Amino acid sequence: MPAQNPVEQLNGRGRSQVPRWLRIVVIGRNPKVTLARAAVLAILCVVVFKFCLLHIRVEGISMLPAYQDGSAHFVNRLAYLWHEPRRGDVVGIRLAGPHVMYLKRIIGLPGETVAFVNGRVLINGEVLDEPYEKLPSDWRLPPVKLGPDEYFVVGDNRTMPPENHVFGKVERDRIVGKTIL
Amino acid sequence: MKTVFRFVLLAALVALGIWLWCVFFPGPEKIIRKRLTELARTASFSSGESDLARLAAAQNLAGFFATNVEVNIDVPGRVQHTFMGRDEIKEAVLGARSTLSGLKVQFPDINITVTPDKQSAVADLTVEVNIAGERDSIVQEMKFTFQQTDGEWLITRIETVRTLSRTGRRTNFPVLSC
Repeated sequence: MPAQNPVEQLNGRGRSQVPRWLRIVVIGRNPKVTLARAAVLAILCVVVFKFCLLHIRVEGISMLPAYQDGSAHFVNRLAYLWHEPRRGDVVGIRLAGPHVMYLKRIIGLPGETVAFVNGRVLINGEVLDEPYEKLPSDWRLPPVKLGPDEYFVVGDNRTMPPENHVFGKVERDRIVGKTIL
Repeated sequence: MKTVFRFVLLAALVALGIWLWCVFFPGPEKIIRKRLTELARTASFSSGESDLARLAAAQNLAGFFATNVEVNIDVPGRVQHTFMGRDEIKEAVLGARSTLSGLKVQFPDINITVTPDKQSAVADLTVEVNIAGERDSIVQEMKFTFQQTDGEWLITRIETVRTLSRTGRRTNFPVLSC
């Protein structure tokens, strides 16, 4: 009887050592289909997480109490494909690129005048109802008129002096998307 | 099959050629990106630095700037400084390295625009600074202007970009007091 090819021997041994149920769990009944599924899933993940949802981690306390320091969220880049940003939306604002963003809430829309008096926001002279703002604030800031393509964004936590808080007017093209989750 | 193989081989050779060309003859944008990465690395430091190392780092860092450089840093609530010339930068670097126990500088996003004559360029970038002992990092968008001098890209100007602006046209809109 001729000696068995060492590769065949190895393969034969390998096949016998891996239980059938484990092979099914790991690579499925049909490895080709499993491979195709994995490829589709990988492409889907790349597309979704590169072009649709951006994963963000909050750093800082400026969005307390709604967004805790260190919490993880997603920014939906497709949120404003069909409509423009709305008041109350929490949005990601890009700096030079999308790797580091500001997370702020839109309080003023294009063309409006935004002011702060005794911690309350005034839009065109009328007090804005802000149910999300739960921390005390005593900000007083003169009215700012927004241009046709500008939004006014600010953090929810206004307990610190305005000088220590990043907020203000932002152009529409800097708004990356709306936060979800 | 042979034709396909030849075609694939040709495509691979072309790709290799392009890659080698880019490696040996990098464009201005690539050179500036590399300079910025080096700048971030040189500006970063950790504790336990000797005086000599501190001096060498300051000297190295000054080498990234033109002699008549102008730096305007204005981070709300944090830093507000203007430096004129290499010497002032060197002094500031030495001061920072002796007072801070550590610093990590990063440029997570860089957009470079090179002028058509390829003699100057503007880099719009995000600067992320982590100071040792501080929990939150400082994040600021900045604009670096580069000029090619004797074959070297040197920074001639740094200015702070106001991503969010607080100033607006003042109006006489009646303000309710509440």
